[in-house]
Amino acid sequence: MRFHSGVLIALALGTLAAAPAPHKKSVLPFIADDYAKALQEARARKVPIFIEAWAPW
Amino acid sequence: MKAYVFTDQALASEAGRFVWLEIDTEKAKNAAIRKRLNIAALPTFFVMDPADEKIVMRVVGGMNVAQLQKMLDDGHALTGGGTLAGGSPADAALAKAERLNGEGDDAAAAPAYLEAVRLAPPNWPSYGRAVESALWTLSQIDSNARAVALAKEALPRIGTGVSSANVAASGLGSALALPEEAPGRAADVAMFEKKVRAVLDDPTMPLAGDDRSGLYISLLDARQDAKDSVGAHQVAEQWSKFLDGEAAKAPTPQARMVYDPHRLSAYIEIGHPEKAIPMLEQSQKDAPEDYNPPARLALAYKAMKKWPEAIAASDRALSMVYGPRTLTVLNARTDIYLGMGDPANARKTVEKMIATAESFPPGQRNERTIESLKKKLAGMPPATP
Repeated sequence: MRFHSGVLIALALGTLAAAPAPHKKSVLPFIADDYAKALQEARARKVPIFIEAWAPW
Repeated sequence: MKAYVFTDQALASEAGRFVWLEIDTEKAKNAAIRKRLNIAALPTFFVMDPADEKIVMRVVGGMNVAQLQKMLDDGHALTGGGTLAGGSPADAALAKAERLNGEGDDAAAAPAYLEAVRLAPPNWPSYGRAVESALWTLSQIDSNARAVALAKEALPRIGTGVSSANVAASGLGSALALPEEAPGRAADVAMFEKKVRAVLDDPTMPLAGDDRSGLYISLLDARQDAKDSVGAHQVAEQWSKFLDGEAAKAPTPQARMVYDPHRLSAYIEIGHPEKAIPMLEQSQKDAPEDYNPPARLALAYKAMKKWPEAIAASDRALSMVYGPRTLTVLNARTDIYLGMGDPANARKTVEKMIATAESFPPGQRNERTIESLKKKLAGMPPATP
């Protein structure tokens, strides 16, 4: 969901917490921070790449 | 998404249909791909055709499982020059809009989405997404009046699902962004505000907790815009209570920490930043290598005017933070020094911000940020009397 907001100065420090807090595992096999590897694998398997651009905040 | 959506077993069958890539945009090694993806907000999700590395679909902001599955289906269909299932003129127009949006061309994508909306047949399953994407791209090109008109036109047709919540909130944001003297602004704000309130009052609406939190933020914006301090405080109190309830239900520390920044903001809004301290100390214990809990502690202590504690928390955050977020932590530190009456260290911190901003690689380096920091430094009180 996307919002305009003039309120949240503190939310400038973000909404997502980073590892290593204990958490449930993703059911999707994400490759972390390696675009070249993802591209090579997608070309070999002939499937599209799903990309999540995020930040640990 | 990481804590609540990508963990959902309903998505397990999607695993083989894509290669899945997560990009931490704060890391210098990802600066080139960040630049290529032309990211305006986080999180953003993309489907890329590996043959030509073109983005065929881009969605900004969180999704629930059903919305993500729809994105995956449509993104898969558009890969390799394909078309969307359905085959109607509206589907063809939407496919064109998705490709333009994928290229990051908001000015071209906005009218393309509007064309898809115009062509939408009755009960078109992509209507909600087409309207939401049109609203987003219109907001990106500051076409707020057009966005308000579209949200008003779409709301009666869009039903009562998640899209109605998004459209109401987006319409409210666009109405608030209009100049105060814009004709009909007050009536539009009031109408959207009522819709957003109705969504919040509907416990059956399948919205993620942090999305519901966003709706409270919209209502708070509206009350503050109306200079209604009593109404704003009431919304903030409701927001804070809601967040405490959601955090208490969170199944894991990671899921609970999703609410930390929302709760900190709500506590500051209601005038009780001290309520954030135990929460953030717990998060610090649960995630000792994460810079966010100490960075947020620095903000809470700043709001409490507890300067030594604020600087100590800022020190801990700075020892772990990386990438452009470093500037946000340093910016808070500057305000702490100014608050405690130490202009010399405030100046030094801004100088450090400029040096840090200038050290970022293309894709992370932002010339406007550097320029604005230099202006800030020039306007600061002198280091020595």
